[in-house]
Amino acid sequence: MLSRVAESLYWMARNVERAEDLARLIDVTAMRAVDHADDAGDRWLSAYHIAGIDPPDDHGRSARSTALEAIVFNTDSRLSVAACVRIARQNAVGVRAELTTEVWECVNGLYLFVEAQSPRAVGPDGVSTFLRSIRDTAQAFGGLCDATLAHDDAWEFLRIGRSIERARMTSRVLREVRDDDGPHVWQLVLEACCATAPFARARSQSSDPAEALAFLALSPVFPRSLRFCARQVDRALHRLSGAPTGTFADASERASGRICASLDFAGQADLAREGTSAFADRIGAQIDELGASIVSSYFPRVPVR
Amino acid sequence: MERPDGFGTGLKMSSILDRYAPAPAFDEFAEADGRPRPHYEALAATLAGISAADFRHRVTTVNGVLLQRGVTFTVYADARGTERILPFDLIPRIIDAAEWAHISRGVTQRVLALNAFLKDVYGEAKVLRDGIIPRTLVYSSEHYEREAIGVRPPHDTYIHVSGIDIIRDAQGEYLVLEDNVRTPSGISYVLENRDVLKRAFPRLFEQYDPLPVDDYPQRLRSALTAAAPPSVGDPTIAILTPGIYNSAYFEHTLLARRMGVELVEGSDLIVRDNIVYMKTTRGLQRVDVLYRRVDDDYIDPLYFRADSTLGVSGLFDAYRSGNVTLANAVGTGVADDKAIYPYVPALIRYYLGEEPVLHNVETFDCSDPAQRSHVLSNMRDLVVKRTGASGGYGMLIGSHSSADERAEFADAINANPRDFIAQPIITLSAHPTVVDDTIGPRHIDLRPFALLSGDTVDVPAAAFTRVALREGSLVVNSSQGGGSKDTWILAD
Repeated sequence: MLSRVAESLYWMARNVERAEDLARLIDVTAMRAVDHADDAGDRWLSAYHIAGIDPPDDHGRSARSTALEAIVFNTDSRLSVAACVRIARQNAVGVRAELTTEVWECVNGLYLFVEAQSPRAVGPDGVSTFLRSIRDTAQAFGGLCDATLAHDDAWEFLRIGRSIERARMTSRVLREVRDDDGPHVWQLVLEACCATAPFARARSQSSDPAEALAFLALSPVFPRSLRFCARQVDRALHRLSGAPTGTFADASERASGRICASLDFAGQADLAREGTSAFADRIGAQIDELGASIVSSYFPRVPVR
Repeated sequence: MERPDGFGTGLKMSSILDRYAPAPAFDEFAEADGRPRPHYEALAATLAGISAADFRHRVTTVNGVLLQRGVTFTVYADARGTERILPFDLIPRIIDAAEWAHISRGVTQRVLALNAFLKDVYGEAKVLRDGIIPRTLVYSSEHYEREAIGVRPPHDTYIHVSGIDIIRDAQGEYLVLEDNVRTPSGISYVLENRDVLKRAFPRLFEQYDPLPVDDYPQRLRSALTAAAPPSVGDPTIAILTPGIYNSAYFEHTLLARRMGVELVEGSDLIVRDNIVYMKTTRGLQRVDVLYRRVDDDYIDPLYFRADSTLGVSGLFDAYRSGNVTLANAVGTGVADDKAIYPYVPALIRYYLGEEPVLHNVETFDCSDPAQRSHVLSNMRDLVVKRTGASGGYGMLIGSHSSADERAEFADAINANPRDFIAQPIITLSAHPTVVDDTIGPRHIDLRPFALLSGDTVDVPAAAFTRVALREGSLVVNSSQGGGSKDTWILAD
């Protein structure tokens, strides 16, 4: 497939994933902030950090509405939910010929929906519903990609984009965790990663924060864990190159292989020793490097003959 | 059907057709006495049974679907580059089998003659020696490409895809208004309109059972496959688009998807040793046929406009070496130059030895002194057109112009007479069209598409009807407030 197309698919998937993850994060943060008003300021600060957006010096009258404005609606930055949706749609326009009608209409519908909204139109009581719609559509996008596109190279690039962004988001959420955080924080962390029920099923008796964090980092079966996402990327890269698993054909496979190995053989004790935040930060940085090497391996401006 | 007295009798009183009054033009729908023409009777009956509210609901639904699908075009004059849906009128235009056979014959003949003209004008130029067309007219055409002289495309096919714009005059006679043999667009609306209308009026659709349009992409693909360089067995075809900001980008994506070929931009291609390649994730892949929707001027900065970023350096050399087919061929624009248009009937007689099936609109050539002075003294009653322009731009409709505008055009004509033609103002035929909450007559045209392979012309039953939505307007171009209609062509 065309390199340009592969790159657009990759960024389309990443941006839709980011929009979904941020929408969930903001919704969850707003809910938890209602329950625990005393540290609501810290929770919103964490949300800014996770989103990679500089928090304002002054939160104004309402930390909540300021955060919504900055993280959800502000299209001056490339990082807000609305901006991600816009970028995803721009990429989709450029690869429209590669998409099925279903996938295209899903992205276009998400874009039209978000563009038509504003903080005022949504209103304070409509935020949760609004964010929920974004999540639903973004998840439908993933489903439609899986269910209507051929699982060929194009799909692998979508899978890579989605998995990298997912891993990045999970690592950023974990990075914000402090050892002295109360139980409501790790509950928030689980919810932000869509992991409450899966964790409860996996560890039915556990209310140990360390165990929950290890689950988010190392579960081999939970689809948003660092380990699971890294494995997805590694598999996709090997399917693209045809190189056997456990070997590498280029820098990106080498990077993904290393990440997988370090996660495959890590345990809860390792996290405790290094500290969850530091561990997540290190893996997050490696994932960013992996992303960069995928870009240079597969989307070169002038390909080598 | 009992004899209705006007449209109201025997039909529900609240019908949206009640107040339809045919326009002072050839009315496609109604006979002179106001009764529906035979092939419109079933449509009339259906519309009569639909309330205004129901109809409005269908219109809203359809527009929502089109926006969601992104069936949009970009308006160049609009600085924001906004995407708009091409207004789609829910009332289909219906063409019966005999009329279509006539149109199709005329289009076939015209395309063959224009293709023969291109082969000649870039080859032996006999047509010029025989004095059929003034030499200066051809050589002064801004779309005549000297670079293309002596370059023979496979099977001498130049005009792989064309769109011939046809109107009906006050007597209902089909006339050719202009030829489009460069990169005509509109087929995507034909495909989408049909799809949408089927949902809006499924039962009516079953009653009429018009010829399908959705085989167009496969027919186009066949034509492009046949156009490949002879040495290539299973050609790789790609569509070359100027990119997402082009007004017809949606169409390019639709055709690529339906044909199952890559949609490439100039930067996706590279030419090495006169061979065109696409840059893929698995390295370079050779391209044999480019259905290019980029104008000649922009395809190769080495030969044409050096500032073009839409094309590919070396593409013209690859084309000239016969390693890639460009569809349409380079230089076809000379054949649809509006100054050449008046000579097309003569070209048909010259190359085919036949009388034209479809006549031209009477046209005054401003480069001829006598005709020019006629134009200058009758501007109020004429349409003046720039020969190099298209899309409804660069045009003066005398009856709808101010004295200043006419003076401006008169100066321009005197300065560059070769660049202008003029035609009498033809009142295009009118068709019932949704206007606010009722139905009124609006002027329409018709663009059938033709696919040429060697000496075989395929005219798919997928024709594009444009409608001037402003009351009394005769300009149907989408950039000028035009909309579109689904066009139902009936089988024998």
